[in-house]
Amino acid sequence: MKFGKRIKEQIQESLPEWRDKFLRYKELKNLISSPDPAEFIFIGLLNSEIEKFNAFFVEQEEDFIIHHKVLQYRIQRLVEKYGDNDDETFREEIGEIRKDIVNFHGEMVLLVSYSNINYTGLAKILKKYDRRSGGALRSPFVQKVLHQPFFKTDLVSRLVREWETTIDAVFPASNAEAERGYERSAAVSSAAAGEGIFRNTVAALVTMREMRRGSSTYSALSLPPVNLYDLDLVLQPIHIPSPILS
Amino acid sequence: MEARPVQRSGSRELSNLTRTSSIPSTPNPSSAAAAEVAFMRSENNNNNTQFMSKPLGGQNYHLLASSNGGAVGHICSSSSSGFSTNLHYSSMEKHYASSSSNAAAAAALRDDSSWCSDSLHGGFLDFPENHHQASQIEDGGGIGAAFDDIQKRNDWHEWADHLITDEDPLLSTNWNDLLLETSSQSDSKKTLQVQPQPQIVQQQQPSPSVSVELRPVSTTSSNSNNGNGKARMRWTPELHEAFVEAVNSLGGSERATPKGVLKKMKVEGLTIYHVKSHLQKYRTARYRPEPSETGSSEKKLTPLEHITSLDLKGGMGITEALRLQMEVQKQLHEQLEIQRNLQLRIEEQGKYLQMMFEKQNSGLSKGTASTSDSPSKSEQEDKKISDSKDHLTPEETGKCKEPESPQPKRHKTDN
Repeated sequence: MKFGKRIKEQIQESLPEWRDKFLRYKELKNLISSPDPAEFIFIGLLNSEIEKFNAFFVEQEEDFIIHHKVLQYRIQRLVEKYGDNDDETFREEIGEIRKDIVNFHGEMVLLVSYSNINYTGLAKILKKYDRRSGGALRSPFVQKVLHQPFFKTDLVSRLVREWETTIDAVFPASNAEAERGYERSAAVSSAAAGEGIFRNTVAALVTMREMRRGSSTYSALSLPPVNLYDLDLVLQPIHIPSPILS
Repeated sequence: MEARPVQRSGSRELSNLTRTSSIPSTPNPSSAAAAEVAFMRSENNNNNTQFMSKPLGGQNYHLLASSNGGAVGHICSSSSSGFSTNLHYSSMEKHYASSSSNAAAAAALRDDSSWCSDSLHGGFLDFPENHHQASQIEDGGGIGAAFDDIQKRNDWHEWADHLITDEDPLLSTNWNDLLLETSSQSDSKKTLQVQPQPQIVQQQQPSPSVSVELRPVSTTSSNSNNGNGKARMRWTPELHEAFVEAVNSLGGSERATPKGVLKKMKVEGLTIYHVKSHLQKYRTARYRPEPSETGSSEKKLTPLEHITSLDLKGGMGITEALRLQMEVQKQLHEQLEIQRNLQLRIEEQGKYLQMMFEKQNSGLSKGTASTSDSPSKSEQEDKKISDSKDHLTPEETGKCKEPESPQPKRHKTDN
């Protein structure tokens, strides 16, 4: 039940258009709990869910690829336009780009997270099914899942890492007071864009930590607890509202 | 909710063009068969028209007949029980969906409704994804009548289709009578549909049997393929660059036509539909890159929620806020990679152990006690994995590692 709760919260925190693309964990669980869960129905549902993941993932990925290029182009153009001039419009535009990079990075990470949580849910529900039915459906089924497009997140991860290195070039080395003062006024409009992504990201991290904290059915197939030492440090200065952390 | 950095444009659902994973095409008669077969179906599945046409009744029987594996067999031990299972769901669905109910079926199963809790209500039986409109399948017989209402729910088709194998011509001919569409019809209609080019769509095997009933059903879902010629395309940055080059050489995104771009790109397997939808996305992304850019007016108004979000980050400046956001995102990504590697390793070990299991069991073919059918198979798998899992070093749980090829057994000496 813990995972069910976790994924439900994760979905709630996720970007609106994504919300119906996640695994229907609860429904599947209910199916398993029913007196006579037909395997073919169960499998049918799983397959349809997987198709859903694949379609969504591949489309998002395509959008990311396009946007990746667009963003690169924008930076290039900006650099060409302004050179080393540090005037106000430059600052404004680079501020915009920074924000867009961070949000783009965030969205891609969220897609990876989407992939992972759905995979995790599938593995869990299969485990539950085997426990109920006494069968061994899980292992071969999971093997197939590993080859599904939605699970192959390598490309998106690669883009994520690329932007992590690129962004250092776009961010200022220090944070001058004047800069901060100026930025506050601009902050309000741009903060909104990142807000959803930020919340979603934090939620995903918390979900992961909670999920791996230790379960009642801890077995060899369970993951060890998350090493979130760094995360706690990062999250400390932020006052996270309780719904995310519950 | 918030400004979206990437524009989404609706695109048609496309099957994966470049899937290189090889799914075995011959179902093996084991309990995993159902999974494998079903999975293969999903690989084969275009999600759409092809399967819209499959009558549920026929599918049902297909499955029952095909189950020589234990998994499906034991559940649908007789055709009637399988029937009722299906009807069970369908009647529940009807019951909760308040559509016109098949009185006989519903009445017979209402007794069993105790387990059908509220959570099923409008639950898994509804699939907003690939939502097709009511199918136009004709009812050919008594059995079909029972499924009238079910067939109107296209989500049934969608997933039930996954269960059918069109690999076995024998089965389909057995049940031809029960199929709600005549084979002669389907034969002719089969030719109407464009067969996907063989070199592209690896997972679509031209079916020798008539179980694949292709008919020009008007699937009005915006997600559906408009025919069989489209496979899902998985774009890569390299491919996209070739696309951009082609577009630029043709005068830019506004002037370039899909046909021209397709010709220019000269990529085998790429269809005009892929290019068309990609071009559409590209145009949108280029001319409205960031929604937030469209509002200098946004800067004037400061809704309360915007200010709150700033407070969320401790009232810091935008750059600091962005840095923090970035940091959290990096953390999540790192953790995801670690988790994924662990999951992969666990599965790899599981697979290896399964292999060992089967090897061992095949060696015990001479009547000695075999553990292969034991219900505790999953538990045994657990145990064996836990033995080898002890070898996982603590470092691996805490650090971000480069993905490595998983090995069947990890030893401490590896690090």
